[in-house]
Amino acid sequence: MPIAESDQLLVERVRAGAPHAWQELIARYEGRLLAFVESRLNCTAAAEDVVQETLLGFLTSLPNYDSRRPLEGYLFSIAAHKLTDHLRREGRRPALPLTATDSSGQWQPVAGGRGASSLVQSGERRCLEEAALVAALTEQIDRLRSRDEWQQLACLELLLVRGWSNQQVAAALGQSQQTVANTKSAFLERLRSLVRRQEPHPDVFPELYPQ
Amino acid sequence: MTTPQFTDAELLAYLDEALPSETMAEVERWLRSDAAGLARLADVSARRDAGVHSLSEIWRRHHLSCPSRQQWGSFLLGGLPAAEAEFCRFHLQTAGCRRCQANLADLERQQGRQSDAAATRRQRYFQSSAGRLPSGS
Repeated sequence: MPIAESDQLLVERVRAGAPHAWQELIARYEGRLLAFVESRLNCTAAAEDVVQETLLGFLTSLPNYDSRRPLEGYLFSIAAHKLTDHLRREGRRPALPLTATDSSGQWQPVAGGRGASSLVQSGERRCLEEAALVAALTEQIDRLRSRDEWQQLACLELLLVRGWSNQQVAAALGQSQQTVANTKSAFLERLRSLVRRQEPHPDVFPELYPQ
Repeated sequence: MTTPQFTDAELLAYLDEALPSETMAEVERWLRSDAAGLARLADVSARRDAGVHSLSEIWRRHHLSCPSRQQWGSFLLGGLPAAEAEFCRFHLQTAGCRRCQANLADLERQQGRQSDAAATRRQRYFQSSAGRLPSGS
């Protein structure tokens, strides 16, 4: 049985209050959650407390959990929140100031773009746009994998996930800046053509439509 | 001392606890020592709240290029083709994916058979949370 399907069945049994299912879910996920939290805390007891809070948080949020969403990602996102809370309490993680970059108190796009108020979108619209981008990215990443183009995938991770410059990526991977630039440009061009069908406003995809 | 340069994508990842732990600590040191850093982080966060999509955030949140847990298992056993195994190493060490690092650490622990400690821990988690299970329908 695929993992996603097996997780869905497990969550259904937990929703029904089955203790064995809950034990199984804990056994399946606590180890990786603990490793995630421990990497930041360097204190096993505190890390175990955060994992415990994560599991309790999962049960509390269960009525709102959409089981089409991958369970592992959902648990890791709860763990990240609980970890952030813990680090704030310890004073390690500074709180964000409640200020923005303009006098209206809202973020504004660069000149020529729309105001933030008009950018705030309905949740539905935002989800559609994100789904379009995920589908397009998945298609391209699968294509690279199927062709064993691992170097290109590595290059794109640094460029697009870490946001590094062409120069930094070229140095990290031992490639020429021109090769990195070509990889980026070809990938973004294909992505634009795939996403264009959804007709998103350019302001909500600034990386795809640089001004 | 030079000011560290973090990209907007890295600051978004910081907000989501998704950078490698050493880089997370570096960002925290920077934020504590530089008020302009906090303002920039607030700006990045506000932009996200306003509905601007970020390729990095979407790619990261959906783990689009992460090897699966099964692939990490094969990686540990040396069962992946060389080029794919090289990408896995890159994904862990250079891209610094925290979730994959955690999955690999967990698999390594399981291989190391630290099962007694894990069983005790799991029992404690269960006992402290079973009372919150839904009552069922």
